[in-house]
Amino acid sequence: MASLADCTSMPKVLVRASPDLGDSLGVHFGLSTRDSSGALVVGYGYGEWLVLDAPDPVPDVIQRLEATPYDGLRSVIDVTHGHALLRLTGADTADLLSRLCPIDLSDDVTPNGAALRAPVGGLGVALVRDDVDGERSYLLVVDRSYAESLRDMLVDAGHEFGLAVAG
Amino acid sequence: MLISCPLCGPRDATEFRYVDERRQRPDPEQASPQQWRDYLYVRANPSGPARELWLHRSGCRQYLFVDRHTLTNEVQTAALARTEGTR
Amino acid sequence: MTSSHRLPPQPGEVIDRAQRFTFRWNGRPYQAYAGDTIASALAASGVRVLSRSLKYHRPRGLLSADFNDPNCMVTADGEPNVRAAHRLVSPGMSVSSQDTWPSLRFDVKAANQLVGRFLGPGFYYKTFMRPQRLWPAYDKVLGRFSHGGYAPTAPDVDRYDQRYAHPDVLVAGGGPAGMAAAVAAADAGARVLLVDEEHHLGGHLRWADAEGLEILRELRAAVQAAGIEVMTDSVVTGRYDGNWVSVLQRSVPGVRERLVKARAKHMIVAPGLIDRPYVVGGNDLPGVMLSTAVRRLVNLYAVKPGERAVVLTANTAGDAVAADLGRAGVDVVRVLDARQDEDVVRIVGRSAVRAVECSDGAVVDCDLVVTAIGWTAPLTLATVSGGRAEFRAEAARFVPVGLPDDVSAVGGIVGDGSTDQLMEHATAVGREAARRASHRAVALAAGVPHARVTAPADTPAVAIPDLRPAAHPMLSLGRTDGIVDFSEDVSAKDLKSAVREGYDSIELAKRYTTATMGPSQGKLEGVNSIAAVAAATGAGLAETGTTTGRPPYVPVSLGALAGRSHQLLRRSPLQGWHDSHGAAPLYAGSWVRPDHYGDPAAEVQAVRDAVGIIDVTPLGKFDLRGPDVPDLLELLYINKWRKLGVGSVRYGVMCAEDGVVLDDGVTGRLGPEHYLMTTTSSGAEATYDWMERWLQTERRQWRVHVTPVTSNYASINVAGPRSRELLARLTDLDLAPDAFRYMQVRTGAVAGIADCVVWRIGFTGELSFEVHVPAGHGLHVWKALLATGSDLGIRPFGIEAQRILRLEKGHLIVGQDTDGLTQAYGAGLDWAVKLDKPDFAGKPELVWQQMRDDYLRLVGLQPVDGAVVPPEASQIVEDGTRIVGRITSSRMSPTLGHAVCLGLLAPHLSSAGTTVTVRLPGGGSIQARVMPELAHVDPEGVRLRG
Repeated sequence: MASLADCTSMPKVLVRASPDLGDSLGVHFGLSTRDSSGALVVGYGYGEWLVLDAPDPVPDVIQRLEATPYDGLRSVIDVTHGHALLRLTGADTADLLSRLCPIDLSDDVTPNGAALRAPVGGLGVALVRDDVDGERSYLLVVDRSYAESLRDMLVDAGHEFGLAVAG
Repeated sequence: MLISCPLCGPRDATEFRYVDERRQRPDPEQASPQQWRDYLYVRANPSGPARELWLHRSGCRQYLFVDRHTLTNEVQTAALARTEGTR
Repeated sequence: MTSSHRLPPQPGEVIDRAQRFTFRWNGRPYQAYAGDTIASALAASGVRVLSRSLKYHRPRGLLSADFNDPNCMVTADGEPNVRAAHRLVSPGMSVSSQDTWPSLRFDVKAANQLVGRFLGPGFYYKTFMRPQRLWPAYDKVLGRFSHGGYAPTAPDVDRYDQRYAHPDVLVAGGGPAGMAAAVAAADAGARVLLVDEEHHLGGHLRWADAEGLEILRELRAAVQAAGIEVMTDSVVTGRYDGNWVSVLQRSVPGVRERLVKARAKHMIVAPGLIDRPYVVGGNDLPGVMLSTAVRRLVNLYAVKPGERAVVLTANTAGDAVAADLGRAGVDVVRVLDARQDEDVVRIVGRSAVRAVECSDGAVVDCDLVVTAIGWTAPLTLATVSGGRAEFRAEAARFVPVGLPDDVSAVGGIVGDGSTDQLMEHATAVGREAARRASHRAVALAAGVPHARVTAPADTPAVAIPDLRPAAHPMLSLGRTDGIVDFSEDVSAKDLKSAVREGYDSIELAKRYTTATMGPSQGKLEGVNSIAAVAAATGAGLAETGTTTGRPPYVPVSLGALAGRSHQLLRRSPLQGWHDSHGAAPLYAGSWVRPDHYGDPAAEVQAVRDAVGIIDVTPLGKFDLRGPDVPDLLELLYINKWRKLGVGSVRYGVMCAEDGVVLDDGVTGRLGPEHYLMTTTSSGAEATYDWMERWLQTERRQWRVHVTPVTSNYASINVAGPRSRELLARLTDLDLAPDAFRYMQVRTGAVAGIADCVVWRIGFTGELSFEVHVPAGHGLHVWKALLATGSDLGIRPFGIEAQRILRLEKGHLIVGQDTDGLTQAYGAGLDWAVKLDKPDFAGKPELVWQQMRDDYLRLVGLQPVDGAVVPPEASQIVEDGTRIVGRITSSRMSPTLGHAVCLGLLAPHLSSAGTTVTVRLPGGGSIQARVMPELAHVDPEGVRLRG
């Protein structure tokens, strides 16, 4: 069983600084964590974080991130419109993704909370393992212009797993 | 061929793009025409250990200095270009 | 046809007698059971001839009765070159023989047999070489003699698939040793992938005695219990650096073939052994079979392979086959034991075996000759992994040596022994493989920030019991010459004469005779080829060596290599609107875009006379922040940027270090340390890589963040004399000519959408505003513009209209009007190059280009006859033949009513007023005049500054 939901409208804020900012954000590249507000902070790149699923409006998120004590150059950019966000949930989703993605998604290599960037069906995708109520779940962040391509590929690969598409 | 990206871990070479041999750009004000020509057009193309610049294009998008044996494709080291030598 | 040769149920049979159906062979109906291969079903009906041989068109029947069988390539349901002894037959399947005319039974080309002595090795090379001008004719005739089936002409509607796998241990081969190794590895905690070429696991145990069948049942149960992923009817086709293993998986529901890309931490090679044919006169007659073929037919498919058999045996497999034959009711008239120096001298017959001449002089009538004269170890997977093939003379076979640490071998290719001994060895190897894999897993995970792989206990290496090949007599070439390569119809005589002609190494003789180069790729004929060359040179097999095996081990369809058919397309948020409003799609780089909405000339007219809007979302866009952004701009662009004020934009051109034009675009300063850069659509990715390369290598100290934001915005260019009027209705921004000047930028709300970036530029040559809208609101703003502008004569326009507009205005397109050699001065960018800047990418080359003055330069051109549009890439010639330039862009100008062009032209012809000759691709030529400016329309720029 697997399901696919389009969460593109979810706020997304990109933070850029030196990797040291990870100490105050509580997460470094390759991992993700929920901050005190409940937002998902994803270690997205070298000195890059993507804040997803924040409960408060984007301007507030930006203000909060800009207020975090830090000395160096920091850019906080609203990328809500630039990326599509898909959520793939279900026990079979690692198998489904193995049709498209060369990463080992087994629990010991890519456990809940893991964040990585890798090709999915040839597209550059950020993949975050973000289980929902103990059920295996992945967030896929892709350039908005490729949203249809990625969704079509997931739906195609999902046929054999009975993928249900919502939203 | 596997390249161990210092940020992402070992990934297949198809995720990376070979950019160039690892070279320093000469100061164009100081360089002789000969030096500048070498910088632009001359490559060592070694058969054996090579020092190369790669881009982890489908991953973290970082430029890496990769030391690779061109006969065995064995990657000895891959280091972040932006911090190499600074710490 | 009824299954006249079908035996009563056999203990290990794989056919399902409850499911019986009909299929067609060369148009006639035949019976089969589910589980039959095409060949076993035909054999059960007494069909003995399945094909004609490549050169001599001799009749051929089953030889090995498995995938490697060279004599049963057929066309099944339109698919050519199907291996009939492997492919399962299905109800209603239509199967036909290949390359036979007029029929399989009577084949005209069998006359080649009569002239066979002229068809020796190199016949084609020698005969059809001269005269060279006749080669096309030869090629056409010879093509009719080609052996393969015909490729279907209809599109392939089947689905192909790919997937990735990350097994700890991948076992290639599912015989008793492979299964035991897999179970042992799994029991030691490894994730195991077990791959076998056959439809069922078991290898030779499938035709074993009752005790062997019981072991097989236990092994299969153990494999299942251990949670091992099993792929049958699947082949490991290659192993590459870092144990990157490709597996071709067949028999997947709904998928014709699937390519599995497995990153194995350890690989175990367990292919078993291949029964080697005996090279003796008549060895290719239908009715001459390998012992393993007979054992398959009798035990797996319950087929009686003949009535009167002669068996030549040199090993226990040959002894066992005699027992099988007896049980099947075949009269075994003679068993010749090679270990007792008994031999087959010649096999006699015309269209099938009739008799055997034995070494004691006896001539024995029979219709079946079974040989078991020795084994070939299939070492390709071991050697492509870095191992070597070493010849063991006492055992008469090659063994693998020197395997890398992450590859091991088990089973027959390592050595001989009882099933228990083979399994004991394999179990130890499997356990050791799991141990090594666990260490490898830790090493691989060490650099992965999110991996939670725990280091295994430091256990010592598992002791591997000794396993060596048993003594075996060396039999290969018999007392008379026979066929070595059945696929390619190469005889021992051919190979020997190749050596006499000087092709005395195995690699040369192989290429000259094509031995081992056919569909069986050396699996059956490899060792015999080496033996034939060795016999002619007088060297031993070890010195002669093997040919080099290369992946893929079996044929892989192009479909499997391609995988799922996905078209990766970038779409703007407005593309759905374009689709539903009659836009002709233009596939430009990775994007699909509207080329036009039916009438590009009218779209041009609307922009020149009123107002038009175009979706320019694909323009590369980059958010630049930080105090050192001006340094970056100064370095990358050839022009100057330090004085660009907040609220202004500038056009810039980038060159590579060799001075060649790389990209161009507009960059605006939104705030003191905040810029928005645009690049060409197709150059966005390369420009991003280029900027990051500088920032990550040569200029690491600079404080700049470059963030790609192409898809953050839907970008809409509003162009035309009434664009200001239109936009004013939708925004509170002050658009007055003095308040918002040409080359300025403002941010504000448009059509109620906040945070839009608006800049005033003029690619089309008209007054125009480029509006960058947060992408999710792009469609809203697009529709609002159209609705609000309906009374102004607004039209959407596409890429074609934009190309015409910019050509009329003489604005170049990088990559269209420049090429990989066009440096900045050649592109007419003299005004932009600022050599007084201390440094910028490409500067030294541009300094030299300026001094050289010998380069083609971009000019405006107009044909003297304004009705003729010379196609783009038309050559400009001088003195009739000398190429002095070319047309880079050309269109009929709706505004001027005659053709307008840009072109690259040699310097001595590039001054205004010169008339040049343009050669048209279809022949003929026209005259064109060099214009004073690149711009054909409004060279003074009155319109866009209005």
